[in-house]
Amino acid sequence: MELSSARELKKLVTKSVVQPFVASAVTRRVLSFAAQPIEELEGSHRTFALGIAQKSERDYRLAVRVQRHELRDSSEVARIHEMARGEVDVRYVGRIVKQVPWYQSRERPLKIGLSIAHYLVTAGTLGAFVRRKSAESVLVLSNNHVLANENKAKKGDAVVQPGPFDKGKKGKDSVARLEEFVPLKSTGSNVVDAAVARLTDKLDYDPRDLQSLGRLAGVGEEITSIGGAVAKIGRTTGLRLGRVTAFEVDNLVVTYGIGNLRFDNQIEIEGADTLSFSEGGDSGSLIVDDAQRAVALLFAGGDHGGSNGRGLTYATPIDRVLTILKVNMVS
Amino acid sequence: MKGASLEKARAAKGHALAIFERVAPVVGVGITQTNDGYALKINLRSRPANVAFPDTVDGVPIHIEVVGEIRKFADTSRDAGP
Repeated sequence: MELSSARELKKLVTKSVVQPFVASAVTRRVLSFAAQPIEELEGSHRTFALGIAQKSERDYRLAVRVQRHELRDSSEVARIHEMARGEVDVRYVGRIVKQVPWYQSRERPLKIGLSIAHYLVTAGTLGAFVRRKSAESVLVLSNNHVLANENKAKKGDAVVQPGPFDKGKKGKDSVARLEEFVPLKSTGSNVVDAAVARLTDKLDYDPRDLQSLGRLAGVGEEITSIGGAVAKIGRTTGLRLGRVTAFEVDNLVVTYGIGNLRFDNQIEIEGADTLSFSEGGDSGSLIVDDAQRAVALLFAGGDHGGSNGRGLTYATPIDRVLTILKVNMVS
Repeated sequence: MKGASLEKARAAKGHALAIFERVAPVVGVGITQTNDGYALKINLRSRPANVAFPDTVDGVPIHIEVVGEIRKFADTSRDAGP
């Protein structure tokens, strides 16, 4: 049939078959529902999704996507077939769920870039796996404000993956316990926003996997020039590329829950092309150079500035983070 | 304008901060580069009206950028959520 006819048929089927069926089914309670609070039954119900399919260049069909198993051979489908005189493409598609990216999901083994947080914090990013000098146990590295709730957490507090904002729960999703944080200071200058949590025994992890970037290749040299290409994998924006726009940034004023804090000696990065380098939730991401060597730990950013106008990101040189926490990268 | 040496740029940071924070909301003073040397990058939360800023401080070129508020990035409040 012609495209205009397919569109007309779609309208007609919506009005004469789908809408009456939904109204009637809800009233008669013929659709199966999982046990849940009654108020959650409000809203749309899975029945039939209608669209237009194409058989050849100028030959169109009504597309019917059946979203419930019990409706596959229903009288409604038979009626649609009849109305379309057979010019219909019916497929069972079942439940359609929102796609959640891997870095916001529950993932084992643990990897760099995953959603993680103290059980009372929304979500940040698992930056890296580190180890105390001459110690066996493995620690996860992120920010104080991700793992230690801006100084409010206690040693031993649960850290969950994914973070609570991504439905991680204390207990079943606990992966580590807070080990140490560098206190954030409301007066004077801060150097790092960093914390480590001790990984649960026998939990599987991959300390070098950087997804499509390759494998983490150790620690890079200190950044003392601009323009260098960098990348990170973070809980909110995943893999993003960027370039250094300033280094040794002092008097960096960052808004926290506990007030405006000052940081010295930080790195500034803008996003490549038309994207930001990071957004809220990417805190704690490990930043690597173009040879996949760790160069900085991301902790803050804003929505303005940068040559593409998508905001700037701030990060602490990784050697400073490792030195202050007295840890080495696990390789 | 000719860029400065890295040492000169580092030495001028404190003086530049003192000059700028008297008249504008400074949220960062860093080192950036020009074609032939180094310069200071002064980040402002907003640009005040009717204020003239110097082009150089102690011979070091000044680049000014309005960057807005800088915030910790575990704040997912603007995230659409799961």
